[in-house]
Amino acid sequence: MSSHGNASAANDPRQPSTANPYVPPQISPQDLPVDYSGFIAILFGLFGVMFRYKLCSWLAIIFCAQSIANMKNYENDLKQVSMAMICLEFTLHVIVQLVKLA
Amino acid sequence: MAKPKPPFFSLPQLLLILAVVSLFLSRLHVVADSHFEGFEADDEEDLDSLPTESLPLRSPPLTFSQPEPDPVPDPVPSDPVPEELQVPDSDPPKHPSSTTFEYWDEDEFEGLPIELPSPETTTTTTTTSKSADEDVKPSDPSSDSKASPETKKAGTSPRSSSYMVEIACGSFLIIFVINYFTGKRENENIALSWAAKFAANDSIFDKNFSLLGVGDGDDSPLLLKEGQNVFKFYASGRRYCQGLLATMELKSRHDLISRVYNMVVPCKDEISFEVYMNDEAMDHVVFAVAKKKAAKVMQKEVRDLQRFASVLSPPSGRKWVSEELAVISESKEVAGDLISEAVLDQVFGEKAFEKFRKGFISMHFSDEHLGTHKKMLLFKFALPDVNNMADMTRLVSLIPYYIDLVGRYKLSAQARSKTDAARAKAAQEAYKELQNARQDALQRKKAERRRLLEEAEARLSAEAIRKKEAKERSRQMKKGMPKVKMTRAH
Repeated sequence: MSSHGNASAANDPRQPSTANPYVPPQISPQDLPVDYSGFIAILFGLFGVMFRYKLCSWLAIIFCAQSIANMKNYENDLKQVSMAMICLEFTLHVIVQLVKLA
Repeated sequence: MAKPKPPFFSLPQLLLILAVVSLFLSRLHVVADSHFEGFEADDEEDLDSLPTESLPLRSPPLTFSQPEPDPVPDPVPSDPVPEELQVPDSDPPKHPSSTTFEYWDEDEFEGLPIELPSPETTTTTTTTSKSADEDVKPSDPSSDSKASPETKKAGTSPRSSSYMVEIACGSFLIIFVINYFTGKRENENIALSWAAKFAANDSIFDKNFSLLGVGDGDDSPLLLKEGQNVFKFYASGRRYCQGLLATMELKSRHDLISRVYNMVVPCKDEISFEVYMNDEAMDHVVFAVAKKKAAKVMQKEVRDLQRFASVLSPPSGRKWVSEELAVISESKEVAGDLISEAVLDQVFGEKAFEKFRKGFISMHFSDEHLGTHKKMLLFKFALPDVNNMADMTRLVSLIPYYIDLVGRYKLSAQARSKTDAARAKAAQEAYKELQNARQDALQRKKAERRRLLEEAEARLSAEAIRKKEAKERSRQMKKGMPKVKMTRAH
């Protein structure tokens, strides 16, 4: 890499005076990447609630877990988390009920 | 009745409903049977628990003699007189003669209770009926008892199958959680080993940038963890550029579902560098290198490449990049200057590229990027294994090399005039688009204002009409008033 390093060896490329600290980009809520697994979880959750279909509720919980696992730091706003929680609550409710019935 | 049962039972969710329904059905079944055979012996039991449907059929037996005449006259009109003791005597002979007892439940039924007080004559019918009674009587409880075990069996088998669902999903969840932690650690290890290799003291980035890491101060963390598989590294304080942002997008090792998916559709750990160039340090350069297929896609899809550049054919009489690679550039001059001998030797030449085939994905320099930073250098590499991070050293050292090369690069006057023209044209187009958008917005506003005005006018006209009406009314009132006054005056 000596050929590459020629320029930097001659004089230090570093310029501390021009250093800017990192500014995290501002992301508006509309530009967030789509949370597919959360969406699927909600769909399954609704199906589970409407048709009392236990497997749906379980799938909803699994996708909910995936959605939470894939959450990014910057999306930690209350909205999404609460959605996931509502979904979880729904599905848990249904499962508990169905287990009781069985 | 038996046919619909199997599918019902196979659905475990409908368990309870099923059980109830099956109980119901079994009851009805018995009822129907007894009804067809025409015995009232069930009455005592049935009356307690029978559904209302069967009640009308049974109601005649409850009121012994009075309803009898009604059915009796139909087949045999000979017994009009309702003497209760005589009726049974005369009735029994009719029954065997008629023998169509499906219709004549009630008749047989009449015979029975009355037969008990006078057991002389009606031997045949009563015996048959009695035996039938006895047949049915035991069969009733037996059928009931049969029905209930059936439902119990039905109850137990879905229960076990439903637990199967729980077991499967629960164990999947547990594996998911375990995988989450192990995958998370794997990804962190990869990111940390990359940072240790290239951002520690005396490493490439340390020698080239004065500020490393995402926070302020000296002991700021080098990496910013944005998700379980996204890590960011920031560096700043170098000539020609404002900063560098590296984004590592690793495989979703923490996510079991995508892990399984990636077994089918494999993907790589990628790292992409964005170098934000100083505005004055970068001339008109639109240039990209990628593997041939990817280059075609980029040329079609990336906007600035699409607008300003085209895929170059390798020039004759010169050492050029490996055959696997394609160069996209605005002009041959730019491409020729940016692909220097040194780079060909070290990375992109036919021989050198053998080593970097896996690691190199693409490289894209442009002064016309969309977004806040227009002048950017983008590099995209695939990360090697945790233990082989040194494999990508040369690729990473391309970054400072190109920052300097592009930062110092000046186009020749000839090429510059061309690129100026192209940018002016593009700018004009953009301006036109903007103008169009603005005009559209203006027209929309105007239309809205007009609509509002029209609405207001409509309201006004309605008010005017109302006023007119009011005036008319008052005028008529006035016409009427004098008369009243006159009368009053009189």
